[in-house]
Amino acid sequence: MKKVGIPRALLYYKFSEMWTTFFKELGTEAVVSPKTTKQIKFDSVKNAPDEDCYSTKLYFGHVLALKDQVDYLFIPRFGSDHHTYVGCPKFIGLAEVLRSQIPDLPEIIMPHYNKAKSGHRKIAFFRKAYKVGLKFTKNPIKIIRAIIKAVKAQKNHYKTILIDEETLHKWERSETILNEPPRYVENERQLKIALVGHSYVLNDPYSALGIRTSLQEHGVDFITSEQMPRNLIDKQMDKLDYDLYFLYEREILGAIMHFMESKTVDGIIHLMIFSCGPDSIAGEVAARLSKRDPIVPLLQLVFDELTAEAGMKTRIEAFIDMLRRSEDEQTLLLTTKVHI
Amino acid sequence: MPLGFPYLGTFTHVMESIARGMNRDDLILPNEPTYRTKQLGSRHASEFVCTPFKIILGSLLEVIERGATQVIGTVHVDFCRLGYYAPLWKLILEDLGYTGDIICLNWFDKPDFFRNFKKLTGDLNAIQAFQAFRIGWIKNRYFDLVEKLLYSYGATEISKGSAKAVADKLNRTIVHTMGERNVRKLPRLIKETFKEEVEVDEKADPLKVIIMGELYAVIEPAINLYVMRKLNDLGVVAYTPITFRRWIDLGYRLNFFKRKQHDIAIKKAKPYLGHRLGGKARESIGCTIYYKEKGWDGLIHLYPFTCMPEIISRSILPQVSKDYDMPVLSLVVDEHTGEAGFQTRVEAFVDLLERKRNENDKNKVK
Repeated sequence: MKKVGIPRALLYYKFSEMWTTFFKELGTEAVVSPKTTKQIKFDSVKNAPDEDCYSTKLYFGHVLALKDQVDYLFIPRFGSDHHTYVGCPKFIGLAEVLRSQIPDLPEIIMPHYNKAKSGHRKIAFFRKAYKVGLKFTKNPIKIIRAIIKAVKAQKNHYKTILIDEETLHKWERSETILNEPPRYVENERQLKIALVGHSYVLNDPYSALGIRTSLQEHGVDFITSEQMPRNLIDKQMDKLDYDLYFLYEREILGAIMHFMESKTVDGIIHLMIFSCGPDSIAGEVAARLSKRDPIVPLLQLVFDELTAEAGMKTRIEAFIDMLRRSEDEQTLLLTTKVHI
Repeated sequence: MPLGFPYLGTFTHVMESIARGMNRDDLILPNEPTYRTKQLGSRHASEFVCTPFKIILGSLLEVIERGATQVIGTVHVDFCRLGYYAPLWKLILEDLGYTGDIICLNWFDKPDFFRNFKKLTGDLNAIQAFQAFRIGWIKNRYFDLVEKLLYSYGATEISKGSAKAVADKLNRTIVHTMGERNVRKLPRLIKETFKEEVEVDEKADPLKVIIMGELYAVIEPAINLYVMRKLNDLGVVAYTPITFRRWIDLGYRLNFFKRKQHDIAIKKAKPYLGHRLGGKARESIGCTIYYKEKGWDGLIHLYPFTCMPEIISRSILPQVSKDYDMPVLSLVVDEHTGEAGFQTRVEAFVDLLERKRNENDKNKVK
């Protein structure tokens, strides 16, 4: 059985369901690289180009971890899946950069899909997926079934991860919990925080230095930007004078703007990655907007390979203490009990 | 309302001539970016946004300081951050207390584009405004011609600085030339002036180096520390195919009979970088191959710190350089780039090219 390697970094956190299902259905073994460890980080910093962003550097480490175990590497050149908004250019160049930087890699499968700039539609998606399938089996029915199942799996994944407006309002009224249940802290008000950032930062405990668990430990209930309902985000983005055209950045900025307007959370934590291009734009817009309407505090944390865990923890603790002490009218209105 | 725009290399002259053609005489011309400009821009921009953003913002702030109440920006959709510069400037300038106009030309929203364009045109009607714009892009060709000749005559000139003086004079002449018939006569004038007024060493056989990379890093001498002039001082001919002309010169863009150099370059880059990813990533790779085949000696690849597309091409260029035996020097520039370090690296690169040429000559003699 042939083995296909999928690095657990960047877009994997968005499309993991689709990719693993697809390769499983084709009768191949999808090998996902292990979770980020110190060794992987060390390898990536050593081998990746200096100026790349931290997340892209980690991708190199994951590829190196997979290199000797697999027959193929699956690194799609993904532009965007929206008809105008674009993703990050690094996603498109990544496969080719890896090919030229690391000479002894197994064959890289790199389908190119870009709805915004190349005008790829459903048929193109199907054709490209079919071409990938032909590498493993000659049976067309098997490939088509694999594609359909993969797309379905991805849709299901979206359904489980995205919440609708009703659930959001329920969460805002503290009637439900969306993520890990927060620890009960005695004599302290339970806080509600919006944790925004790229999905590959939020879901990778190593690169975000375990921020999810540390928030949970502090008795903080949080919502992530990935979960935000799409229509709310689009509504918020329409309020900007000019449309922001970075696909994943819209999600982040939209979530920040929504909570700044609705004031239903105690604070917002924005996770940024050093030298991430789109982040530098959206982060600046968020900071400027937050300065104009400073009721909900915004903490912007920048991560890179040199970020120390202790420093980050101190900052998060200080932020949480600040929120706890705040006696604004607005924050006291927030209901504080969650019954588990 | 005095109109201001940021400094963008020779493109400043094009902007000036378009604005003058549109009956706007209330111009506040930008100065060349200085240390202060860079400081000003970096202070108000976000931390790791790319360098062009910071310096253009600094330049814009200086123009506003001097009294401009109407500044121009552009909005478009691409992989690059460039398309969202103007909205961000708007936020920053508003926070700094600027009350004037910021006109964002958004090509993807056509009615808005023309409404904004109308604001810039003074009292002209649509046809006259288009004509002014057309003269602008035609003049852009001649500014490029001046630059090309400047950096080729500059390498072999006998009294240093004479080519630069001629170029400055010619640029002013082009800006102030009015009427299409007069404009069309310019290229002959430019060539003749250079031939007559710049004395060159006829026997010299200079090395030829191509400058490629990100648009702003290439065209803006303040950020690339006058790398073209530095090469000229070392007796090397420098040329860059990257100018603003490609975007505003509609006549050139719509000419189907002309094979465009960047299309050829993109085709050549295909085995290394197959798809569009913004910036000049594919072109930088394609031009390395294209100019090697044309017999140029080396290529200097410039890009600003944290530029997304160019980092990709920078990572691939070493392989291209090895495959095609074309020396490539990648230089990252930002507002902190030190003059001495930059100079040393350029000099070392030129030494390398010279040695390579001598070795090749020896092999030929044998």
